[in-house]
Amino acid sequence: MDATIISPVAAASFELFRQLAVDGVVLGTVYALLGVSFTVIYSTTGIFHFAHGVAYVVAAYVAILAADTLGLPWIAAAVVGIAAAAAIGILVEVGAYRPMRRAGATALGVFITALGISIAVPNLIQILFGPNNKTFVELSPATIELGTVTFTTLDIARVVISWVLIAAVLFALRRTKWGLATAAVRMNRNMAAAVGIDPDRVHVLVFGVGSTLMGIAGILFLLNGNATPTMAASPMLIAFIAAFLGGIGSIGGAAVGGLALGLVTSLSGLWVASDYQPVIAFAALFVLLVIRPQGMFGRRAA
Amino acid sequence: MFKQFTTRGTEGAQGLRRTIVAGGLAFACASGLAACGGDSGGSGGSSGGSEVKAAAASDPAVKALNDVFGPGGKEAGEGVTINNGMLLAMTGQGAYFGRVMSQGAKLAASQVKAAGGPDFKISIGDHEDGAIQAGVAATRRMISQDKITTLQTSYGAVSEAIIPQIQQAKVLTFQGGGPSPGQVEKDFLWNNRMLFGDAPAPGALTWLAKEHPDAKRLAIVGTSENATNAIKTLVPSVWPKVQDGGTIATTQIHDVGVTDFGSVIAKIKASKADAIWNASFGNDPGYFVKAVRQAGIDIPIILSEFTSDACKVDPKAMSSVHAAADYFDPNSENPLARSFTEAYRAAYKSDPDFYAANYYEQILIVWELVKRVIAEGGDPQDGAALQAALIKDPKFPSLYGGDRSTPGEIVFDPTLHTVTKPMNVLEISGDCVPSPVADITAVGPDADPKTALVSASR
Repeated sequence: MDATIISPVAAASFELFRQLAVDGVVLGTVYALLGVSFTVIYSTTGIFHFAHGVAYVVAAYVAILAADTLGLPWIAAAVVGIAAAAAIGILVEVGAYRPMRRAGATALGVFITALGISIAVPNLIQILFGPNNKTFVELSPATIELGTVTFTTLDIARVVISWVLIAAVLFALRRTKWGLATAAVRMNRNMAAAVGIDPDRVHVLVFGVGSTLMGIAGILFLLNGNATPTMAASPMLIAFIAAFLGGIGSIGGAAVGGLALGLVTSLSGLWVASDYQPVIAFAALFVLLVIRPQGMFGRRAA
Repeated sequence: MFKQFTTRGTEGAQGLRRTIVAGGLAFACASGLAACGGDSGGSGGSSGGSEVKAAAASDPAVKALNDVFGPGGKEAGEGVTINNGMLLAMTGQGAYFGRVMSQGAKLAASQVKAAGGPDFKISIGDHEDGAIQAGVAATRRMISQDKITTLQTSYGAVSEAIIPQIQQAKVLTFQGGGPSPGQVEKDFLWNNRMLFGDAPAPGALTWLAKEHPDAKRLAIVGTSENATNAIKTLVPSVWPKVQDGGTIATTQIHDVGVTDFGSVIAKIKASKADAIWNASFGNDPGYFVKAVRQAGIDIPIILSEFTSDACKVDPKAMSSVHAAADYFDPNSENPLARSFTEAYRAAYKSDPDFYAANYYEQILIVWELVKRVIAEGGDPQDGAALQAALIKDPKFPSLYGGDRSTPGEIVFDPTLHTVTKPMNVLEISGDCVPSPVADITAVGPDADPKTALVSASR
């Protein structure tokens, strides 16, 4: 028998199921935050912001820089890092996408630009900081044991912070004037402009919000990991998958899609070896898109 | 209501355009500089990675080279240019490896030239953290454009993929990073590091059994990049031999470069393992150990690799595990090692690890081969002639082993194309400094784990 395939007895283990389920919720929460961060931008602007990952890595490195060179306490440094993430997102919109939009660039042209930025920024960071691991703060989160299931206080913090942020974004989009302006631009950019809404400002807003969320995800990772120039590669892909799973354009859908992705990926460990688990994410996306091209909560195009 | 979003004019558009152009140029420069894979160095120079200040004949490290390898001059290859390629991970998760490996080689090239040896012209190809297509393309470029005579490669799968290319072009190649069984006994490819996973495993398991006699159920964790044989065959066969009642509780293979080990750890917990043998590399051991300890699992862990960079992920957690690996001791008394460490520290402000040491040493090996080929009246720019000289006499001065007055010696197996180097069981301090606690005295898949694999604990 292939030793990498878990035995049926072990697969039936309720103990294993519970641990994987808890891991799946923690993982899925992070995925949900990533998915929402991407969808906030895409659903309003229609820009496939492939350079979204730069906010993740910039937040991490700026936070480290702020802590190391300015001597800021880690929480203050984290805030600086998140602000930098928002700034880089806005800079990409204002400095690259907007002029391209005005010049009549195609979606492919915008995508290629984003791709270039997503390659250039990590390389620039590698030149400036080197490829080595960079440590932000050495937290020692307490381990909590509930029977045989374990998780850390940092896991709890991640789950709480992420869902509070997701709820806040959903609330803001539905109940605030900024949110309504965003909805107006999303539905009809020209009509929104005709009633006095500046679509460019809305773009700045959503790039700022989406990049802030991505930056927060980067900092949450950094609290339990180290920064490397390529640290955003995987989270960026996850953000796309979660967004498409949930239904492209649906922010609530991206959150549910991210959570589902985390749970499916983790629970698949009941039956498949760990190195097959990343395949599960793409398989789930493929199957869903074949059955339901608009994703779980997306609307089918007319 | 929508005051904040009222339309603005288009003033400042020209300034913005200038900003975009400047930003675009900056990004383009960044891409080009860090990719490292597309350019080649000038004479006596290099490309990619950190540059090193040219060494002078009066430098202590250069004098040490002359003491060991003899005086410079025509017989030592002075005036000869050796085009030396390096196939490394210069970008991606493993960029750390590419950097330290290239630093080691560049330092050696600079010192050899100052010592009156050949002028090593180093070009670097980026395999982008083990991407086979990128590695094959980079090797093709180095062979066709840079006209390399020698190559230093890294990683397992990508190095296996380039074997036909180096054999066809007769490029003498050294592997100092990730030797695997698939790279053994291959013409023109010589492994200058013990086989990752396979070589230390019998000694590691013997030590584990001796130190933890109650640990019966072993969890195997690693990647399939270049430890497949150890994970699937070697460790499952050795563990029951060295531990009475020893069984394999679970085998978990993970992708390279992951940071989330949730499901791996859940399965280890469910398997009721008493100990873990790990064959991950890069940052993965750091994240793995951290996650294991955070899950409240305090069983013994023995790793197959230790690097200070991976240790940085969680030094406290790493101080609770051991590693069984080939290990370069920066405090070695060996005169070659001592001068290398001092020069490396001066050039790069950090201690060298075994990756830097191996790639430094490989340049010295080629220098020695150049001398031998010249002495025989051959062409030192002919990879086949260099390999023939290696086969004729596979012994070389080494940074490993030795004592205060004598450098160590490595001997390549002319059939298997492997090398034997000292291996240790290492304990790791809270500030990520490894120190040997036992010597592994017999290595490899054929080693008898029951006899004299590990010396008495120090």
